[in-house]
Amino acid sequence: MSVRGQQRHFDRRQALTGLGRGLLGLGALGLTGASLSGCGSDNANPKGKSITVGSKGFAESWIMGELYAQGLRNLGYTVDLKTNVGSSDIISAALLSGQIDLYPEYTGVMLVSFMGEDKLMDSAEETYELAQTWAEDNQVTMLKATPFENKNAVAVRKEFAEEHDLKSVSDLKGIGDFTYSTYPDNVTGAQGYEGIVDSYGLDNMKLKTLSIGLNYQAIERGEIDAADVFTTDPQLLRSDLVVLDDDKKLFGFQNVVPLIRDDTFVDFDDGATEFLNELQSLLTLEAIQAMNEASAINRLDPAQVAKTFLDDNGLM
Amino acid sequence: MSDFAPAGDPVIPDYGQASDCVINNGAFCTDWFISQWSTVFWPPLLSHIIMVAIAVSIGFVIAFFAALLAYRKKWLAGPIGMTATFLYTLPPLALFQLLVPFTGLSLLTVEIALVCFTLVIIFQAVLVGLTGVPDDVRRAATGMGLDRNQLLFKVELPLALPSIISGVRIATVLTVSIATIAAFVVDDGLGSPIIKAVSSPFNTQFVGAGALAVLLAFALDGLLVLLGRVLTPWTKARS
Repeated sequence: MSVRGQQRHFDRRQALTGLGRGLLGLGALGLTGASLSGCGSDNANPKGKSITVGSKGFAESWIMGELYAQGLRNLGYTVDLKTNVGSSDIISAALLSGQIDLYPEYTGVMLVSFMGEDKLMDSAEETYELAQTWAEDNQVTMLKATPFENKNAVAVRKEFAEEHDLKSVSDLKGIGDFTYSTYPDNVTGAQGYEGIVDSYGLDNMKLKTLSIGLNYQAIERGEIDAADVFTTDPQLLRSDLVVLDDDKKLFGFQNVVPLIRDDTFVDFDDGATEFLNELQSLLTLEAIQAMNEASAINRLDPAQVAKTFLDDNGLM
Repeated sequence: MSDFAPAGDPVIPDYGQASDCVINNGAFCTDWFISQWSTVFWPPLLSHIIMVAIAVSIGFVIAFFAALLAYRKKWLAGPIGMTATFLYTLPPLALFQLLVPFTGLSLLTVEIALVCFTLVIIFQAVLVGLTGVPDDVRRAATGMGLDRNQLLFKVELPLALPSIISGVRIATVLTVSIATIAAFVVDDGLGSPIIKAVSSPFNTQFVGAGALAVLLAFALDGLLVLLGRVLTPWTKARS
């Protein structure tokens, strides 16, 4: 069940594109070894073959893909960027079959979707280390993880938190009936509504399902008391909300790592590895929220959002 | 573990303040459309034009020669016409999807599908144009000593031109529209900004890309009308 729960976490934002590309992408993976990324410009690249960077089906991944692609281009690599490749299953298969060479993935997703782990680890480090074993088994190199992680969380209004003295999800127990909202697909499953009720013993948590994106309006208006959010949602900055500590580690850990196929990584020089590691370590929660906000609220193109970040941080 | 420690504080860029229209997802935010033109709209517009140009050019060459063949060998007209009509009836999204296992998520997949949809229109237009040449004109030309090829290039094709041009116009407008679906396969064309805005709906992106597709169809149609006038000056004189 937790596999499905975790998978949903990312499917939510893929909406229609995820579905369409999913079907198409699965077909594409039937190709044997034929790389789609050739594009004929290989000889022009002073640093060996061209690198194809991929990204998943939502804005945060598009921004990460742009950060990698633009930074590597700046170092003299020929980079082809394939935006919006698809869900974890599709994009990881694209990586292993050579259709893409590099993409950003979430460590917790690797455990649940790739390794079939039903129990999530107790720390970001353990999650990273276990994900590393998958990478090694599949001839994939994993570089540094981002300080930020993007995972499901329970958020409440600030006044509500103060009124009931709430710091963690466990504190919700025994405060009397309150209403929690999530999207309809996230009710069952270990990380969904039912999982939270079971793990934390929250019989007083009543459910209201709301379609995607309406959570924030509803909680701001006081129609609900608690909402399912993603920790990097830019709206978290705008709405006056408090994210409750997941003290039972129900939601696991979801830092982002660049996954690079080993046969591509051997062509990377030290500069490329250094760049990626330095970039990764600069991606704090504050940084990614600002970039997600620029994308979701200001509606800037992921390419512009990434370029500004790289420029301002002296990475280009 | 040091892998998770931030390497000093990142500089958080100032991305500026979005206008009220953008924040409230207005029907069409002109300010945003203009400021994002060079990144969000122009590259997809350019790739859309290229996709359509390639598809119509290749479709024209194939359909043109198929029509010539069918004109010379009358018994071929039925089978060729039926094949082209069959390709035309396939739902575009299904055709893209059927091709992906063979040609991948590539421009090739897109072009094969787009070409398939242009064939029947251009084929029929060329064939109708050629068969529409009056018999007495043909007889007069033969009587003046023109051989079969001279008859075709000097008499029949010029007289078929208005029909051919109108076929190419319809095929072009249709391809402009179908090419938006290509975004399911490649990150190109005006469908790309539309599909990317689906998960986080933004009206200006839908309206902007949709309007550009309509304007592109009008513009290309207009260009072909002009081309037709240049190629067939006698039609203007006659009317």
